[in-house]
Amino acid sequence: MSHKQIVAALWVILVVLTLAGSLLGETAEPGYALMLVVTLTMAVKGRMVIDHFMELKHANRLIRRLMQAYFYVLPLATVLSYVLSTRQL
Amino acid sequence: MNIAYSAQLPAADHIPGNKGMWAGILCEMTEFAVLFMVYFTARVFFPQEFRSGPDHLNLLAGTLNTLWMISGSYFVVNAVIAIRQNRPAVSARYLYLVMLAAAAYMLTKYLEFQWNVAHGVTGGNGAFFTVYYYLTLTHMVHVFWGMIGLGWVILRTRQGAYTPVDHEGMESFASYWHATDLVWLIIFPLLYLLR
Repeated sequence: MSHKQIVAALWVILVVLTLAGSLLGETAEPGYALMLVVTLTMAVKGRMVIDHFMELKHANRLIRRLMQAYFYVLPLATVLSYVLSTRQL
Repeated sequence: MNIAYSAQLPAADHIPGNKGMWAGILCEMTEFAVLFMVYFTARVFFPQEFRSGPDHLNLLAGTLNTLWMISGSYFVVNAVIAIRQNRPAVSARYLYLVMLAAAAYMLTKYLEFQWNVAHGVTGGNGAFFTVYYYLTLTHMVHVFWGMIGLGWVILRTRQGAYTPVDHEGMESFASYWHATDLVWLIIFPLLYLLR
């Protein structure tokens, strides 16, 4: 597959994940399962954009690691704040 | 597959665009990280507001804006691929599509804010809505800066300023646009989906 074909396939996947996420957000019961799916989807979508749209997969190591770390730290912070928040309900 | 793919990418350890733009992008990511920390803290202190908040927002508008941002990112990758193949006219056409996606984002935001006003969704309704307006308005401002940069990159592309060897300006813009897309990929689930 060429670079162009790969980004086209990823674009389709990103669109499908977005529509599926909205459907789930609208219909699923709030709770840890929904939170985990939503957070994991956030992390996967971010990684796709960083690695292939931004072309950082083989780029400068510092920039790549900083950007990839963002999509580990933010999803983890999301999970932590959700758990702490839900325990107070 | 990997060999063909990597052969079409810049050399390993390459910096897309230039270092100055990356300093700006990392500042942007840090700015939003601070705003996300505000979201996380507020979520812990106002759990009920954040549980019910997304029900009061327009999910269709949030979804459409995600699609515009993702598509804009996709078009800008194609603009960069085209310039590497020495096809500036094709590249310019993709850049116009990025502008169209950005304009659609702005129009959707305008209609969403009108819908919010009609449904009594204001920043004074509680912590969730204050955070919602802070995050989405700040993101909108970054999209607006991107549109100005995009106008310049379109002009330079039409002038023939970029070549397969030297297209640093276009790559810099592309990196900024992707970063703005990335921020939205976090804003969307946090505000519209996570109940």
